[in-house]
Amino acid sequence: MYDIYLTLRSVTRGQGGKRALDRAGIPNALLRAPRQIAPQGCAYALSLRRRDLDRARALLDRAAVEVEGVYARDPQGSFGRLWP
Amino acid sequence: MIYLDNAATTLRKPPQVGRAMVRALTSCANPGRGGHAAAARAEALVYGVRAQAAAYFGCGPEEIVFTANATEGLNIALGSLVQAGDRVVISGLEHNAVTRPLAALGADVIRVRAPLFDQAAWLEAFDRALGPETAACVCTQVSNVFGAILPVEALGALCAQRGIPLVVDASQAAGLLPVRPTRWGAAFTAMPGHKGLLGPQGTGILICRAPAKPLRYGGTGTQSALAAMPQELPERLEAGTLNVPGIAGLGAGLAYLQGLDQAQVLAGERALLRHGAQGLQALGARCFTGPNQAGVLSFLLPGLDCEEAAGAYSRGGIALRAGLHCAPEAHRSAGTFPEGTLRLSLSPFSTRRDIEALLQATRGMLGGKSQGITRR
Repeated sequence: MYDIYLTLRSVTRGQGGKRALDRAGIPNALLRAPRQIAPQGCAYALSLRRRDLDRARALLDRAAVEVEGVYARDPQGSFGRLWP
Repeated sequence: MIYLDNAATTLRKPPQVGRAMVRALTSCANPGRGGHAAAARAEALVYGVRAQAAAYFGCGPEEIVFTANATEGLNIALGSLVQAGDRVVISGLEHNAVTRPLAALGADVIRVRAPLFDQAAWLEAFDRALGPETAACVCTQVSNVFGAILPVEALGALCAQRGIPLVVDASQAAGLLPVRPTRWGAAFTAMPGHKGLLGPQGTGILICRAPAKPLRYGGTGTQSALAAMPQELPERLEAGTLNVPGIAGLGAGLAYLQGLDQAQVLAGERALLRHGAQGLQALGARCFTGPNQAGVLSFLLPGLDCEEAAGAYSRGGIALRAGLHCAPEAHRSAGTFPEGTLRLSLSPFSTRRDIEALLQATRGMLGGKSQGITRR
């Protein structure tokens, strides 16, 4: 189950990020970000497992895919901000 | 039909272009406008072509902006760089897609002229014209009228030294010559998708490497609560629904090109141009040829109006273009204004037989075998 959400400001960044993670074999899904983590309206998020987070961040940095925020989703469905 | 009007659009496309378009038309929804599978498919397709184009042109995927044509890209570029009264230096070979937006913006336009195929002379002329007050420089990579290749890489270096943003119109070059905006330091590089890139009409690419002002404002599928357009490229410049089937076709055209040896295609087209020019000259035509030429040959037939001659070619099943080719400046530079020229233009599918057919038709025309042509 993916419980980490990395929000991105555009679908192009989302697609670029997804490609980078796919290439590295990190399981992920690109989806429309839930309203709670998209304060400016529609956004995209890469969701992945918590244990892949550090590696994913490093990969996205290298691929110049700017992450807007990192959130953890608890089993009740609420989001807690991890970064920034 | 013998099709020799590829500078207007390449009529013959690789069959996979049409197939890709039909597939997109029947399977892709609106990218960025939903989380369902059909929207996600469209998003992946659009990004895939963006990344493919970025690899082809040596830039980042986010610098690839999809436009409807080169004209839209040039309008974005010029609208981003030029305000009323700004001095803009352009080559004297520019298309109306450059000169009309500049006129509408109220720019103070300096036109640089030099012998058509003399790259050193073009560079010297730009060197003299680019001053501290220059707001932007615009240069076509290949003249759409004469096929003259301009020294955009050296011009890019010159502009970089002087801090002047360079806009390159790669309309006739893309697909035929290396287009390398990152190496040139070009702020913007615009091109159509439907010419040398072998995609469908209604597609284009703007390679955007400088802060840009949108030409259109509207929905982007992200940051929807904001009144302003997003800052991020390419969404900033892509308001509204994208031409997904067109982009799919463009991707198929690019993939076809990536399977060809570009240098070999260029050499083949140059050989055809030489053959055409020699044959036409032997028949008494005036041909505009030179060492730095690609894809396009302009010529004049003795005593014949070029539009009427093009009509006669057309009746004989040969498609080429006559007139000013939307580039009156180029004709002013070459001394062919206002009559214009006949223009033949090639694609990777052009053959020696096409040129032979043209020469045969020309022989007939000059021998008086064509009906209804007025002698000048």
